[in-house]
Amino acid sequence: MTGAALARGRTAMPRFLARHGWALGVWALLGLLLAWYSTLIPRFGQFQVVSITKNSLPLIYLAVGQAIIVIAGGIDLSLGGLLLLSNVVAARFMEGQPLGVALLLAVAILVGLALLNGLVGLVIHRSGMPDIVVTLATSYIWSGLALWILPSPGGGTAPEMRWLFTGSPSGIGGTWVTPGMMLALPVLAIYLVLRRTRLGLGLYAVGSHREAARLAGLDVARAKVAAYAFGGMLAGLAGLAMVALTGTGDPRFSVGANATLNSLAAVVLGGVALTGGAGSVIGAVAAAVILIMLNPILSAMGIDPNHAQVIQGALIAGVMMVGGLATILRERSS
Amino acid sequence: MNRSTLSAPPGARSRPSPGWRARLRAAVVEHPNGVLAGVLVLLVLLTGAIQPSYLSVNGMRNTLLQAAPLGILAGAQTILMLTGGIDLSITMIATAAAYVAANQSPEGAAVAILLGMGVGLVAGTANGIGVAVFRVNPLIMTLAMSGILLGLFTSWAQTVLQGSTTVAPFIKLVGGGSFLDNRIPYSVVVWGLLSLVLLWLLRRTGWGRLLYGVGDNEVAVYLAGIPVWLVRITAYTVAGILGAIAGILLAGRTGAVDLQLAGAFLLPSIAAAVIGGTSIFGGVGGYAGTILGALILSVLNSMLTFLNVGQAIQQMVYGAIVLALAWGYASLTRDPG
Repeated sequence: MTGAALARGRTAMPRFLARHGWALGVWALLGLLLAWYSTLIPRFGQFQVVSITKNSLPLIYLAVGQAIIVIAGGIDLSLGGLLLLSNVVAARFMEGQPLGVALLLAVAILVGLALLNGLVGLVIHRSGMPDIVVTLATSYIWSGLALWILPSPGGGTAPEMRWLFTGSPSGIGGTWVTPGMMLALPVLAIYLVLRRTRLGLGLYAVGSHREAARLAGLDVARAKVAAYAFGGMLAGLAGLAMVALTGTGDPRFSVGANATLNSLAAVVLGGVALTGGAGSVIGAVAAAVILIMLNPILSAMGIDPNHAQVIQGALIAGVMMVGGLATILRERSS
Repeated sequence: MNRSTLSAPPGARSRPSPGWRARLRAAVVEHPNGVLAGVLVLLVLLTGAIQPSYLSVNGMRNTLLQAAPLGILAGAQTILMLTGGIDLSITMIATAAAYVAANQSPEGAAVAILLGMGVGLVAGTANGIGVAVFRVNPLIMTLAMSGILLGLFTSWAQTVLQGSTTVAPFIKLVGGGSFLDNRIPYSVVVWGLLSLVLLWLLRRTGWGRLLYGVGDNEVAVYLAGIPVWLVRITAYTVAGILGAIAGILLAGRTGAVDLQLAGAFLLPSIAAAVIGGTSIFGGVGGYAGTILGALILSVLNSMLTFLNVGQAIQQMVYGAIVLALAWGYASLTRDPG
């Protein structure tokens, strides 16, 4: 509502701030944290940049995938399960394969998971079941399937895949160029799709008010399927990044469940409203990096990792409380 | 949702005379819990067909021992889901409460149980304040609470809570013991009493009706002069206490505590409430359905254990059946237009 009112304003600046204020704030917070981190450790150089980038990649992909689905008015608790599925398929079948086969497999995983989750989106639309219920059930199915494919942690990946996501064929050190590219390109592509295409704007419309969007002639089913397909594809990318990062596959249920919950935290911290129709993937990316960066920062400060978890939780709650208070105050004043 | 008046789909005009489908649909809409009870009986018989010894006092007792903590946790979710909330920290609250109860067990069972419930009270109220006063999304607030509790208790387990990790004999008896020739578990009695209280609260008290009201139309409740924030906070407090009780029962069943004590119950606690017909968006549902949902999931668990198919297939079947139940329920109760 404020967006529409501001759109008629004389300058573009207030509108820009109203739309992107939260995301800008999150990026500013990330910048502050980075600056602070660089004073905490003796040497801040390429190694740290590579390390933060590559370690953030899985959560960034997952958060972007979750953001698309949430923007379109859904929520996906199965993204972690899809991540596991991609992770174990890659770990089991990519090890020792030539580059061509590995690439083909990667593409197959992305397309396969996009189709799979798109189908889930269709089921949600057709059945009228709540998103959270369907994806809760499918999270069990995908995690079980992952465990069936790879019963215990193991497997491997192709050195080229490691180079692509981590910047070095061995996964240690290396260049920042490829992980940076793998961060920027998919995020940019998704951002452009969401903001510049008919389909992407349709997702905002459906997430904002489903019935109004339907009456305006939008294909609600197509929007739902597209959002979930994008989410599935990004979960697949997250799984590939995870294999590249760790060098092995890990089918444990808790890995997927934690990834799902972190993706939700990143999306909400990044300024995407869980009610749908508002926010952008850009904020979610910064929030995902912040969530990952907290661990090295707090350990550089010499804080017990258990306390680090407490601080992370308190920070998430605290930031959201400040956001909530700001909303209340704005409502009071207007 | 007056969708049919806006654009009637072609099928709606020529609605056939009530056949078996229509009658089934009407039956489901009017008696959803009857249908759930039917599914439960079917599952029990199916499990009995797989493992004949299951259809005995002992088999039922094992399922009920599993169902009691799940049912109580799902009760907490039901209360919150009625207000449009949810609690992702409930199993961590349960674990934390069990930890404190175990630690205080040398002081006597009463002190241990009360302090354990105190943990639930504090954590639940904190959740409530975040959600009701600061308007943090319940998913995020309780997710953060879960992380905070996990971190706190992981470090406290090596410092201030060092010591006993086994619970007092009385808690063991209540959590895992049975009476009447080892037939009826005490934990089921606890669950039964709590269920009666919950059903009474939800159906017969003003507070219970307000939970529905807040979930259904918060603005209307607010305009009626009700402090909505208080309703929400108390809902989270009660949920926290229920979580603590479930955690203490679980600790009694296993005899000792660790930080993974209740974690596996989180998604089933939500699934039980959802299968029982409580809407995740608030305002619709009740605890009777949740009880059946918890029993169904527990029987399902026993069945999958008997089938001995391995964890992977178990997870897949579990997910598929939850999906099928929810789907069947949705397609039968939905407006046939």
